[in-house]
Amino acid sequence: MSLGRPELRVDAVAKVTGAARYPGDRVPPDALVARVVFSDQPHARLRSLDTSAAEATDGVVFVLTSADVPVNEYGLTMFDQPVLVGPDHTGNTAVDAAVSRWEADAIAVVVAESEAAATAGASALVAEWEQLPLVLDIDAALADDAPLVHPEMGDSNAYYSYVIRKGDVVAGWDEADVIVEGTYEFPYQEHAYLQPEAAVAYVDDEGRVTVEIGGQWTHEDQEQIAHALALDVEEVRVIYPAIGGAFGGREDMTLQIVLALAAQRSWQLGLERPVVSVWSREESIVGHHKRHRGRVHTRWGATTDGRLVVVEADGYLDAGSYNYTTNKVLGNLHMCVAGPYRWDHARIDSTGVYTTTVPGGAFRGFGAPQGAFVAESQMNKLAEALDIDPVELRRMNGIVDGDEGLTGTEYPPGVSLQPVIEACAEAAGWADGPPDVAAVPSFATLPSRTDSVYTGRGFACAMKNVGFSFGFPERSNARIVLHGDAESDEPTSAELFLAGAEVGQGAHTAFTQMAAEATGLPVSAITPTWSDTATSGDSGSASASRLSWMTGNAILGAAEEADKAWRNGDRPAVGAFRFTPPPTDPLDPEGGPATPNFAYGYVAQAVTLSVDVDTGHIVVHDVVNCSDVGRVINPALLDGQVHGAVVQAHGYALSERLVLDDTGRIANPRFSGYLIPGIGDVPERIRSVVLEIPDPRGPFGVRGMAEMPMIPYAPAVAAALHDATGVWFERFPLTPPIVRATLREAGLGR
Amino acid sequence: MIPVSFDYTRADSADAALAALAEHGDEAKLLAGGHSLLPMMKLRLAYPSVLVDIGRLDDLSYVRDSGDHLAIGALTKHRAIEIDPLVAEHAPLLATATANVGDPQVRHRGTIGGSIAHADAAADHPSALLALGGSVVVRSATGERVIDAGDLFTGFLESALEPTEMITEIRIPKHTGAGWSFQKFNRRAQDWSIVGVSAQRVNGHAQVALVNMHPTPVRATAVEEALAGGASAADAAALAAEGMEPSSDLNASVEYRQHLARVLVGRALTEAGIA
Repeated sequence: MSLGRPELRVDAVAKVTGAARYPGDRVPPDALVARVVFSDQPHARLRSLDTSAAEATDGVVFVLTSADVPVNEYGLTMFDQPVLVGPDHTGNTAVDAAVSRWEADAIAVVVAESEAAATAGASALVAEWEQLPLVLDIDAALADDAPLVHPEMGDSNAYYSYVIRKGDVVAGWDEADVIVEGTYEFPYQEHAYLQPEAAVAYVDDEGRVTVEIGGQWTHEDQEQIAHALALDVEEVRVIYPAIGGAFGGREDMTLQIVLALAAQRSWQLGLERPVVSVWSREESIVGHHKRHRGRVHTRWGATTDGRLVVVEADGYLDAGSYNYTTNKVLGNLHMCVAGPYRWDHARIDSTGVYTTTVPGGAFRGFGAPQGAFVAESQMNKLAEALDIDPVELRRMNGIVDGDEGLTGTEYPPGVSLQPVIEACAEAAGWADGPPDVAAVPSFATLPSRTDSVYTGRGFACAMKNVGFSFGFPERSNARIVLHGDAESDEPTSAELFLAGAEVGQGAHTAFTQMAAEATGLPVSAITPTWSDTATSGDSGSASASRLSWMTGNAILGAAEEADKAWRNGDRPAVGAFRFTPPPTDPLDPEGGPATPNFAYGYVAQAVTLSVDVDTGHIVVHDVVNCSDVGRVINPALLDGQVHGAVVQAHGYALSERLVLDDTGRIANPRFSGYLIPGIGDVPERIRSVVLEIPDPRGPFGVRGMAEMPMIPYAPAVAAALHDATGVWFERFPLTPPIVRATLREAGLGR
Repeated sequence: MIPVSFDYTRADSADAALAALAEHGDEAKLLAGGHSLLPMMKLRLAYPSVLVDIGRLDDLSYVRDSGDHLAIGALTKHRAIEIDPLVAEHAPLLATATANVGDPQVRHRGTIGGSIAHADAAADHPSALLALGGSVVVRSATGERVIDAGDLFTGFLESALEPTEMITEIRIPKHTGAGWSFQKFNRRAQDWSIVGVSAQRVNGHAQVALVNMHPTPVRATAVEEALAGGASAADAAALAAEGMEPSSDLNASVEYRQHLARVLVGRALTEAGIA
């Protein structure tokens, strides 16, 4: 009733009129301004930090340093990063807190009457550094005599690894008739959300240290703040106002802990003034993690009739200076690098490596886009080697319900890869041969003659887990309160309490529609309270394509509890529910059986493009994306997710190139040098094909979908580029200088 | 980045603007559409202490037929030139170059005078002015003079204008019915050129100018001389980078810019009908 309709976003009017308040808009008139001072030292030990001149600067109120942090460590999955780098600290930390391991480690927070005073105070800090050796990339980190970035983590920069061991690879190579291999490299990607980091912090009426910020997981922020400030979680409150995009880039801490510290100090000093901080774009790009760069070498063997037999792969991710979520992203790369296919024999080794560069972390797809670039490029190479149509080869080898995965257990029920491949190929007219595209694209920089313009098409598919993996205690809470007359049989309205983050993706609208569906009330009768640890239980993160799936299940449970209470005569009738999905396992250290995930999403894409071989410039004409979403909650929001993900993937594949200088600092932390696509650069047409094959475990049959269209795009583009030119590209972004140089080496173009 | 602080004054007439320039000299800058000046101020390539806003001098916004040439007011916005029928008929190269400047918002604010006055080698208009053999009329509080395009661009972001002078009019000789081409290669559709080419056929020979291939807007002299000496278009295009000193940045190396110049000049000559 309420599902499947293009309901207006619950935040649409406020966002269109400008009434919606983002953290940077919520500056109280009496607020102090905090400047977080980056070390600007990729690898160095802070010998001393003299704050006296900063503290004496006009307008500076106080300065926080490492000595002011009760527990000077944080990290989403490992406490391997100091909150503030400095020589003096409390000792309650495993990591050496005197060492800066990337340019954006913070050394102080200068709190002042104004932005200008805070900046003046920051430049008056006197730091004495002892330089430590740089570790600039994966190869340098793995060298025998490499300096250690984290000596406390062991005697190697290779600090985290996974293995898969299935069947007998030696027997597999004997059986294989055809072998394809490659060494694939994938680049950083910057999240480039519209709203740079911003926050306001204060102590609320109930004495809680409160931070209003854009994040992805209120309760995780709360835990991280409580840990570093040595408070109970109940003494910390996190509220999310409107959030201008996230894409994984707000999953880790930026301003959360330091502003909580500053607010606490403001109250301790009796000032009782809130503290705000708003980062510039440059601070944002320098100061938060990136999609991991990395490299995979792999070999695949198949029989002449097209059956996959054996895969071996060795993959590396550059974790940068701190783990963030590298260990989890690495697990996803590990699970995706052999694709959604059946294998008899597999050996896969995946390793995370510390360097003194920007940390890698969560970004839409979370390791799957990197894995898919490897797996789908291999699949397309194999199709060429076997002279089998690439779609047909996927039909022959793609997994189906009941298949055993690489980790020796069955895939979760509801595998829909095959229908997704089928529907994508059908919509793209794949069987009809190469598409008829305009020979001369509209884009101004392509020539008006055609002899240097080549056209091709490519196909790729992918799967990715929905929800948290590898034994994490996954859960989501919801609370519904039904209201109505004491005499009435049915409620007339409902309150909905949820923490799940609205980062722009439309989650709050989807939650409202699901709550309406679950209670039988119209959408207009649902009054929500969102994203405040003081009013809602933990919903988990806006990540892993999990919110609709997990929170929908929680809403269903809460509605059922509330309905029971209503039938019992409670007025109002309260239903609170904590949903837990089927448990998962950590991967076995020896590669033994494990069930790493409880649900997957499936996607396929066909891409048509032209390339000007004389300049290397690429225009993408047409993208067909087929996603199985299980059940459509809101078709307009669904289309937005698909188009947004394809455009984000387009930048990843073609133009976004983050450059590090020879000290490991980011050389292009602004949009004039880091090129995200504009409206004239995106694919000329994106067609979204939607399947609704219910996920047996999903709420209303819903599947996670938000990351999926991001995943197969880069390999589909690489395949289309090969179709056009006959040249395989094993690295990207496919910028014009790189494409032209590679084609030139292959003897094509001028 | 944020500009250094400055004073602001709005001129109600060209005379008032020139008086302000006479008073402040090189401390002052004229502000028209702000689409060249403000980015330069943010990058601190310019740091005037006084901005004289001439953005509302509507009497300097026009396109007129002046016999053998078009007269275009310095404050004419890009969008007005892009859709002007006289420009389309007599200087289609200028219309197309203008249509490729930035995005619609930029073209509704930016002015041709501002684009030319900053002598930015990465801007598209100076190359069109050079290829079309145009000139600019400049005024100061004490007089008026005409500067040929070939004498206008003297160094990196430097022109022959005195600090007390302002461009009031751009003059474009009519090239009715003659072959022409404008080529632009950029990394994103609405960005500055990585390399651009303006080519205009004039009485059987060609005038070719390059965008972003040299510290200044520049004529491709080696190409023009080769064509005049009887070389084929393909052989002439191979000389496109001769004598040029292009910059190198994260988006394109010197070698790639040199390559693009050769490719784009070749395409421009072909499109302009030069064999």
